[in-house]
Amino acid sequence: LLKGGAFGGNRGLRPIPPEKGIFPLDHLHQCDTEKKGYLDCLKSSGHKSEQCRHLSKTYLECRMAKNLMAKQDMSELGFSGVTELDSIVEKER
Amino acid sequence: MSWSKACRGIRISSYLENLHRTSQSPRTSLCSRYYTHGACKGNEHYLRSKRVFWGSSSSWSLNSHSATAKSMLVSAHRQYSTQSPTETKSQKMLYYLTAVVFGMVGLTYAAVPLYRTFCQATGYGGTVQRKETVEEKIARHSESGTVTEREIVVQFNADVADGMQWKFTPTQREVRVKPGESALAFYTAENKSSAPITGVSTYNVTPMKAGVYFNKIQCFCFEEQRLLPGEQIDMPVFFYIDPEFETDPRMDGINNLILSYTFFKVSEENTTDTVNNSSSVPVQETK
Repeated sequence: LLKGGAFGGNRGLRPIPPEKGIFPLDHLHQCDTEKKGYLDCLKSSGHKSEQCRHLSKTYLECRMAKNLMAKQDMSELGFSGVTELDSIVEKER
Repeated sequence: MSWSKACRGIRISSYLENLHRTSQSPRTSLCSRYYTHGACKGNEHYLRSKRVFWGSSSSWSLNSHSATAKSMLVSAHRQYSTQSPTETKSQKMLYYLTAVVFGMVGLTYAAVPLYRTFCQATGYGGTVQRKETVEEKIARHSESGTVTEREIVVQFNADVADGMQWKFTPTQREVRVKPGESALAFYTAENKSSAPITGVSTYNVTPMKAGVYFNKIQCFCFEEQRLLPGEQIDMPVFFYIDPEFETDPRMDGINNLILSYTFFKVSEENTTDTVNNSSSVPVQETK
């Protein structure tokens, strides 16, 4: 019922930039192993993000370590209570 | 002769009729003198039947027309200062209409920022809305202990502008995520040409009305990204679906979101330029 095109739709407004800004590109592939781990987990778990959250956490931690991301407490990013063991707990839930 | 064209107008005739009716001064006779002279043939008989002194003034006409035309105009103009009710009404109408015109033009200029604020506030048309930061939202929801049940499938789409020699694909087809869980996704871009290409991307979320709840914490869009020839790189997107998505009745039937990115070419460097570059390793950007 709401025709986005009528109001300029996709083009009408500038999309809002992301909250924490832009990820610097990992030209040197420093966090590739973490990324691969996360993607493999996704494939094996049927693309469920829940079960692979600990791996995404390690990926972001790797980025922070290599200066590719602003350092921040992981709980602020929604990873409170997500540890390596949590993936098993979440599976059982 | 332009005067004759003017006096054929009904309005002028009614003005002059009012003048003749209200004014007693001999200046009126000047106007009428002009009026009867010249080509106002159609009205002449009508005017003559109205006033006696018109006939007396017609003798002036041939002698003094050109010389006194200016003074006649001035006097006629002076006569208009004693305005009749219909005249003031018309003038008020004129002011009102002019004000309306200016108002409309002003509105069209004001519409651009007004529209922008309206869409930001309501998220109409797929605008990703922002009232509080994602960290605040996450903190709020973790404190209140909101539990989300619905699983949402977020699918990814990647596009490249015409003529851009990048291979840009999502690294995973989809991610199943619950609202309130921050999730990570990747896109892979490869520069298939032989020259470094700089691109910039933009994104959109469909269905449009769900765009309000889709928060991107960090991504790779809106900033120019430069890829060396043959370079392949992974671009992450870190996003979060607002838990309020579940409680919104408008989102009842929506279980699929599509995040779509499009890359546009900013510039392409000539291969001869890169020969002079000493470092092959790009400088790391720090935020």
